[in-house]
Amino acid sequence: MTRAILSCTGLDKSLGTLAREVAIRGAEALGCEIICPVLLHNAPARYAKTLAGSELIVIDGCPTRCATKLANQLGAKIDRKVLLTDAVKASDLTLEPSLSLGPNGLALAQRLVDDLVRELTAPGQYATGLPTLEAPDDYLTVTQDKYQFRIPTQEYAFTENDTWVRIVGEQAFVGVSDYIQQKLTDITYFVPPASGDAVEQFGELGTIESAKAVLEIIAPVSGSVVAVNTTLIDHPELINEDPYGAGWIAILALTDYAADQELLVDGTAYAAVVQRKAAEEVG
Amino acid sequence: MADDTFMGVKREKISWAPTIDYTKCNFCMECDVFCPHQVYERREDDPKLVVAHPHHCVVFCRACSKTCGPDALTFPNKPETIALIKQLRAEEDVG
Repeated sequence: MTRAILSCTGLDKSLGTLAREVAIRGAEALGCEIICPVLLHNAPARYAKTLAGSELIVIDGCPTRCATKLANQLGAKIDRKVLLTDAVKASDLTLEPSLSLGPNGLALAQRLVDDLVRELTAPGQYATGLPTLEAPDDYLTVTQDKYQFRIPTQEYAFTENDTWVRIVGEQAFVGVSDYIQQKLTDITYFVPPASGDAVEQFGELGTIESAKAVLEIIAPVSGSVVAVNTTLIDHPELINEDPYGAGWIAILALTDYAADQELLVDGTAYAAVVQRKAAEEVG
Repeated sequence: MADDTFMGVKREKISWAPTIDYTKCNFCMECDVFCPHQVYERREDDPKLVVAHPHHCVVFCRACSKTCGPDALTFPNKPETIALIKQLRAEEDVG
């Protein structure tokens, strides 16, 4: 399948000119078409064939995420995304504030393109040998108006931030609850945590994104990331379909579960939290 | 809020809320549009946006900052907040 790049063109900001540079260099390196967001917005038919027949790479300059929102408005599936604010923060280079890219901006652009090319051209890196997690059999159901939220009664522990942990030996599967996936509606994008990263309890384990929001996945336990459910990169909808099974986010090697447990609740207590939240937000 | 607690601790005792950096904020109001908990409030005078209800903010949630183009929102340190919650739980004999 061919690829196309839809990029921020925030010409009044240094991140915008960085996005433009990444798009141009990326298109050259990957041999793909660039979609102009302004033209796409004004004449979407111009790109209908491109969007229908290409893997879409989106480059957002800042969290306003204009390029992502435009793709979402047109119902285009996003295959890979780069958010430059995060990329700059993660880098040891400081982006010059000028609108013309300086040496740091140009170096950053090339690094980001190299990372993108590496990610997209590495063969068979995804979804090989991943463990499976069977969804539980027994649930509590919290009902609010037309909504029903399922909560496992056994083996799962929860944070009040709508994430869960299920311990298997020394390792912990973690994921998000049925309540939060319904609140987000259709999840369209998953940014995984880096494998090998150490994370504190309530630290960030990547993000999931829908048309409604970008949600930070809050780690229910502390540990190091030993596996990421990379299937979700191409199929984030699994989080909606099976949040307690196939939609698991990552596996952590636990560091101090005894201490972490103090700030976890069981399914029954979490059901009360969901009931309260749903009553406030739905009711 | 119907039940002002987080992990059994009174919400007002936990200082978790956004801080607006007014040197960066461009008052686009994306954070206020996004937040379903009325943490922010718009004003007629300067500044045009304030954190009016910090205790409505969901502890550990930073979702509004993911909407902030100029990166003007910051939150307290998480490990320090966790330590505070555990201390308050011990003092209040929760759990």
